[in-house]
Amino acid sequence: MAIETRPFTTEDFARNPDDYYRAGYVWQVPVRVTHWVTALSITALFLTGLYIANPVFSPEGEAWKNFTMGWMRKIHFAAGFIFAVSWLTRAYWFFAGNNYARSGFPMFWRAGWWRDLWHQLWEYLKLKRGPIHLGHNALGGLSYTLGVVVLGAFQILTGLALFSQDAPTGPMNRLFGWLLPFLGGPFRVTSYHLLAAWFVFTFVILHVYIVIYDSTQYRNGLISGMITGRKFYQRGDKVQDTWLG
Amino acid sequence: MPSESMNIRASTLAGWPMTKSLSGPTTYEVLRDHGVDRRTFLKFATGITATMGLEATFVPQVVHALESKPRIPVLWMEGLSCTCCTESFIRSSHPLVGDVILNMLSLDYHPTIQVAAGFQAEEIVDKLIHDKPGQYVLAVEGNAPLADGGVYCLEGGRTFEDRLREAASKARFVVAWGNCASAGCVQAAAPNPTQATPIGKMISDKPVINVSGCPPIPIVMTGILTYILTFDRLPELDRLGRPKMFYQHRIHDKCYRRAFFDAGQYVQSWDDEGARLGHCLYKMGCRGPTTYNYCSTFKWNDGVSWPVGSGHGCLGCSEPGFWDDGPFFQRLANIPQINIDSWPETVGKVVAGAAAIGAGAHAVSAIAKNAVKPTEKVPVESSSGVKGEE
Repeated sequence: MAIETRPFTTEDFARNPDDYYRAGYVWQVPVRVTHWVTALSITALFLTGLYIANPVFSPEGEAWKNFTMGWMRKIHFAAGFIFAVSWLTRAYWFFAGNNYARSGFPMFWRAGWWRDLWHQLWEYLKLKRGPIHLGHNALGGLSYTLGVVVLGAFQILTGLALFSQDAPTGPMNRLFGWLLPFLGGPFRVTSYHLLAAWFVFTFVILHVYIVIYDSTQYRNGLISGMITGRKFYQRGDKVQDTWLG
Repeated sequence: MPSESMNIRASTLAGWPMTKSLSGPTTYEVLRDHGVDRRTFLKFATGITATMGLEATFVPQVVHALESKPRIPVLWMEGLSCTCCTESFIRSSHPLVGDVILNMLSLDYHPTIQVAAGFQAEEIVDKLIHDKPGQYVLAVEGNAPLADGGVYCLEGGRTFEDRLREAASKARFVVAWGNCASAGCVQAAAPNPTQATPIGKMISDKPVINVSGCPPIPIVMTGILTYILTFDRLPELDRLGRPKMFYQHRIHDKCYRRAFFDAGQYVQSWDDEGARLGHCLYKMGCRGPTTYNYCSTFKWNDGVSWPVGSGHGCLGCSEPGFWDDGPFFQRLANIPQINIDSWPETVGKVVAGAAAIGAGAHAVSAIAKNAVKPTEKVPVESSSGVKGEE
């Protein structure tokens, strides 16, 4: 097959559409649903969490007429439980889903994964189009694993431990209360919880940016893919998911 | 009441009931000798029952125990400490409570308030250890520095560590009195040059009850000993070894300013309108939301006031490492691992800001390079291998 290097045109596309864009079904329904549930719950968690950490606005009037912090905490806790369920669902789908559901895992025991990691980093820095992936690329998968899976688990565990303080005899305290003395007491855990929240937010910034960049750079339907489940590639794209096994 | 049923379920330790082995006058007899009438005694018994979180039906049981069981001898030792625990202990403003505490404990040895001195005082300790092994309670105020063979705390020519281990080896159980003894307090604050070590980390063969606080509330001591006299078992302890009946709830959960917390009304700076209206001290660094103690229930000086009641945030003095969790008037702790004065929020903003700047720089250079369009293709090696729905 010939090596295609010139930019494709609308005429090319009209002449032989099959050469240019074809769709692959990548993200299954649970992946897409948990993605958006996670996105919404993290947004709610971060905003309410910022208020809980530093209540910047205060209502006027009698205390009994207001419940500002109370609502912030209620929303925070509810969103936290929703996020935890979403996390668990996605973790289950890691095992039950198609191969792309596992593509975010850092497969550091495979040489191909490491090659892909450095290659992708280099392509991003060179602002080159680079090779195309249908699942995660190694770099994206690694940051997803750290930013959502690991930090998410940390936030869920510390969050539930802090939440369990409200009911010292309750089941939550029996399950997660031991984490507080283990991590240096509830006061420090509060600080770690907030610090980790900022790290998650850092991931969100990078994630949203790189998704927009990738989507415009590759024209691979990265954003719509998380709604429809389908991503696009062109004939001749080297599909880089080979390390996925 | 949940706390009551939990206390009843608490397991009985081997070697108990301990009151069987005691001898001497009962608490009631001692009080009568000191001129306390029965009516006052019953009022005390009712009060202490309520303090322990037990309901009114337990009052006869408590009264019976105080009437019929001999007092528990207490050996009080002081290591590295500021004596604030003793000060708190002997300054119960209610005369009866103070009297009861001092009389019911059968304080055979107390470095600060004993009459005896020198060899005479040391003799009391030796006598207690040899004559009543397994009967006395060892109450430790302060802790022992272990660095350099324990030379940073010497008592009667011996290291405190040595004396403590000897006394603890024959004690029935150990009460670690105050934050020093139960968690290390200021002596153990970083970098802890004398290696001051809490009692619970030194003594492993005896039950250690941590009565944390700097100082702890005096009634807790009375409560613990009355509980043991009445039920012949140790009170149930939380994960940090503190009796649950006093340390189960957060200051925050029983704070009278809690309504302002939930409403979102906070003191923003000292002496502002909120401070005058008694708003929540959360933003002024109050540690109430993460501190487990009895202050917001029982208050201090017989209910006169307590820190939050005086408009000052809780310092968290019953929590381990509270000296290292400073500054006290700041809502969140510095991050000890990074070892710079940074709030989590500051660190988080810097990291998130750097990411945003990095992404922005990348976007600008991508646009500048006009790279944001599919202009290139990589060499084709294989067009197969696409998994999924084809």
